[in-house]
Amino acid sequence: MRPNDRKYLDSHEWAKLDGDTVLIGITDYAVQKLSNGNDSDLVYCDLPEAGRSLDAGETFGEIESVKAVSDLNSPVAGEVVEVNSTIEEHLEVLSEDPWNKGWLIRVKPTAKSLDHLMDAEAYEEHVAKEG
Amino acid sequence: METWRVITTWGAPPDFNMGLDEALLRAGPAAPTLRLYTWSPDTLSLGYFQRHADVPGVDRAGAVVRRVTGGGAIHHTGELTFSISAPLAHPLYRGPVAESYARVHGLVARALAHYGVLAQLRGAAALESDRPGTGMCFHVSTELDLVWEGRKGLGSAQRRTGGRVLHHGSIKLAGSELETGVATLAGIDEQEFAGRLLDAIGRELGVALERGVPTPAERELARELAPRYVDPAFVRRR
Repeated sequence: MRPNDRKYLDSHEWAKLDGDTVLIGITDYAVQKLSNGNDSDLVYCDLPEAGRSLDAGETFGEIESVKAVSDLNSPVAGEVVEVNSTIEEHLEVLSEDPWNKGWLIRVKPTAKSLDHLMDAEAYEEHVAKEG
Repeated sequence: METWRVITTWGAPPDFNMGLDEALLRAGPAAPTLRLYTWSPDTLSLGYFQRHADVPGVDRAGAVVRRVTGGGAIHHTGELTFSISAPLAHPLYRGPVAESYARVHGLVARALAHYGVLAQLRGAAALESDRPGTGMCFHVSTELDLVWEGRKGLGSAQRRTGGRVLHHGSIKLAGSELETGVATLAGIDEQEFAGRLLDAIGRELGVALERGVPTPAERELARELAPRYVDPAFVRRR
């Protein structure tokens, strides 16, 4: 079972409340799907600048594995207040620790609720269906 | 039986080609659309994240665009380009990215078999076509690339957005001076090979292939999207 201290988006991003902010990252399933278990298959990641406003579901960045570029979507609306800038140079962190060190952005949300997102159990079912 | 729409455009301008592919990615129907096309003038397409300065041949290439798909640069001359736009939930694309490449490359290998070409995934082999420092897609290989005679023969890249995928493929027929040493299908016409690819896809996937055109809405979106692809701010954004 994946961590139940956070909620999930169907495009495989997670959101975790952290005080007045929400940390956002991508799941181990997303990393595995992109990299096929090979750290070096993740080659580029573009993240936004702090200060950017995001709508829920809006694309906030892009990640490239070997030859596939994928969007990164925000599970919540709000303002980006911090970016994990080490990720852009150290994409292997996403494989090593997608749940903690691999966070991508910190958002000050317009509403603090994550109720519109999937819990861990629903996300497990979603992943199982996606195959 | 599933029906795929097939759109062919021979000798189309680079901004049109890229704008239409993005329109099909963003607003295409639930059934896959397969485009088969060539370019006029000759065009070099950069991968989405590539640095312009990392492709030394860019100034000798003719027109230049930046794709929304990843990977390295392709010189679109003497080649057939194809694109497949489909939902990510489609059986061809669901699951890991690598598996989707293997499935699509298998279809191209079936088309190549018609000419007696034994194409297979590279695996662990070293290729004669690998050339460091050119930035060209055909000069860099991974284990999933389709090769014959020890050389890379198919350029492949994807964009995944909004629950859909755009898959670009490039098959070298005559080759290009910017892509020396790669596998080609010399003497075979683009449209003839396009027909073989259609045969292989229809047969292997058990789908009907129906000639079609973009819808008015897709054409309108393509017109809106096209200018970005030749805008220096986008082409030289990295």
